[in-house]
Amino acid sequence: MNLTNTQFVFQSKTKSVLIGGMVLGALCLILTFIGDDEYHTRFWTNYLHNTVFFTGIAFTSMFFLSAQITAFAGWDSLVKRVWESMSQFMMVGLALVAVLVIGVWGHFHHLYHWNTPGITDPSSPIYDHIIAGKSGFLNAGWYTLGTLGFLAVWFFWSYKLRQASVEQDTEETASLSYYKKQRKWAASFLPLGGFLSTVFIWQSVMSIDPHWYSTMFAWYSMISMWLGGLSMTVMLIIYLKSLGYLEYVTRDHLHDIGKYLFGISVFWTYLWFDQFMLIWYANNGEETIYFKERMNHYPVLFWGNLLLNFVTPFLILMRNDTKRKFGTMFFVALIVFFGHWWDYFYMIKPGARIAAHEAKEISEGKVKTHEATSLEKAAAEPKMSTTEAQSDTVAAAMHAAEDGAAAAHHEEAAAHAAAPAETHEAAAHGGEAHGEAAHGEGEHGEEHGHEGDKSFKAGFTLPGFLELGTMIGFLSLFLFFFFNKLSSASLVPWKDPYLEESMHHETGALINTEVEENQGHDDHH
Amino acid sequence: MATESKKVLYGLYNDEEDLKGAVKTANAAHLDILDVYTPFPVHGLDPILGLKESRLHYLGFIYGAIGASFGFLTMTWVFTRDWPIVFGGKPYWSVPAFIPITFEMTVLFAAWGMTITFYTICGMWPGVKAKSLDNRITDDKFCLAFDVTSATDNDVDKLKGFFSQSHAAEVNVKTLD
Repeated sequence: MNLTNTQFVFQSKTKSVLIGGMVLGALCLILTFIGDDEYHTRFWTNYLHNTVFFTGIAFTSMFFLSAQITAFAGWDSLVKRVWESMSQFMMVGLALVAVLVIGVWGHFHHLYHWNTPGITDPSSPIYDHIIAGKSGFLNAGWYTLGTLGFLAVWFFWSYKLRQASVEQDTEETASLSYYKKQRKWAASFLPLGGFLSTVFIWQSVMSIDPHWYSTMFAWYSMISMWLGGLSMTVMLIIYLKSLGYLEYVTRDHLHDIGKYLFGISVFWTYLWFDQFMLIWYANNGEETIYFKERMNHYPVLFWGNLLLNFVTPFLILMRNDTKRKFGTMFFVALIVFFGHWWDYFYMIKPGARIAAHEAKEISEGKVKTHEATSLEKAAAEPKMSTTEAQSDTVAAAMHAAEDGAAAAHHEEAAAHAAAPAETHEAAAHGGEAHGEAAHGEGEHGEEHGHEGDKSFKAGFTLPGFLELGTMIGFLSLFLFFFFNKLSSASLVPWKDPYLEESMHHETGALINTEVEENQGHDDHH
Repeated sequence: MATESKKVLYGLYNDEEDLKGAVKTANAAHLDILDVYTPFPVHGLDPILGLKESRLHYLGFIYGAIGASFGFLTMTWVFTRDWPIVFGGKPYWSVPAFIPITFEMTVLFAAWGMTITFYTICGMWPGVKAKSLDNRITDDKFCLAFDVTSATDNDVDKLKGFFSQSHAAEVNVKTLD
């Protein structure tokens, strides 16, 4: 085989640019830390957000690669080194996650309300019976296992898979022994990655809203990571080609990755909507509160998510020629990459803001009493209005179910009332009221309750400059590690049994402009 | 619809590369190819034959858009004008509840629309008789066909010469009704 430029060289100029990016990221993290509230919520959420997102990209690269190997896919052989190198970032992810785990044990951050000391103790004034009921899972031990432990397992698998692949290059005569080894690591990783990723995401992201739960969440957030990984792959391949590497990777390969980018974006939308619609339809106070909070107070974040991650890739990648154009694909990949970073921002920030708010109330002594707790229980009952709903907006439909729950959940109602007994009465009144006059009453109570959370706050309502800087920092770290790994082995897996197939990969797409281009090329000769 | 019978001269090749080479030679000699028949899609054959990108997908998009609007507007009309019913305390015009059906209607219209269009273009209606030149072209032979209904003997000889030059395994004539 006559392939050139098969050894990636990590240029010192690229290195300095990436180190500059990392310095910028560190600077932004420090600036965030300084100008933050007393719990450093913005700092910790930014840290968690980027850690989970970039570690997730590494994880899904491994997952995708394993799926390809297990499915006997041949087309990807020429680009598999890219995924192998991306997956190795899980090693850095381990160190990043370790900081979060130490933070949980040492109570350095208030990302997780379930981690507040005394919250599961029935004799404590801040006792929360819902969190106490979940404390068998939401505790520091499980957190350590679910994040750090499982990530270590994944990293071990990805390390072994890459090792088997790189060692294959040194094989003197063609044999399938290393290939079979890769198949074993890949096939066994699929159930490990599939099942354990749910726990990883429940612990690290979903437990920010410990009262809330969604059975769709793990699916949805893992697909989000996957799209982050795919869009990153597209951008990296185009970048490497622009440097003169991967010359045998053609627009046919890109077309196939583009199909994944398109298809999985639609799948993401399906899961996003599924999670929303099930909760909307069931109208369970403790579930709807999640979306009510986000739709009412974070509308740009909420709708922007759909615009970036569904509308853009759906409309642009629907045509088959767009998936074969490097410029268009880079553009879409950039949007989707930013879109899923935005998606994680949306998952993490509103919940963490509430957690910080709760921590503040606890420290100021405005704690929840047992009366308030039972009130919350009452308010969390689903409220199915039997009267004819007049309003025709989605938000209003949720409204009827939850203003009672919302007030209780955030405890503002309790804080505003003079005595617990009074609160109880007021809430009970609110609950009854919305049979008849749900609208006016609910609207009012809600306005009152959320004064603090409603105002715009950079870094929470929308990503600010510090968030972007932090993202660039983490991205630089990721790329630095990626290029480093990429340069440590050949770009072409020489002894891969599917290499020949990958080099002749064709999707068979017939594009008029491409045909004309080729004919012009032939005439020239 | 009765079509005139057609006399076809065709050659069978054992390999798709032979066929591709033959098509190129025929193009160079300005021979008017009727069609080629292969047991599986041969990559790279379409551009050599001078086929254009299918426009079926534009219709697919239009059918899908019609399906989406039809589904959504029908439900809107039924649940707000024709027969308003309260389901679980939701508003009459419950957009999230309409989405799954809108999606299904999009898929249904796009799929059926494209299928019917495709069959219409190809004249494949129920009960239509298959016009096959040779049954082996669905198995392991690659066929290149010329229409010789109004060809002179001289032309036919020229084509036969082309087939023997391009290593056709077999050359036959068949009249399709």
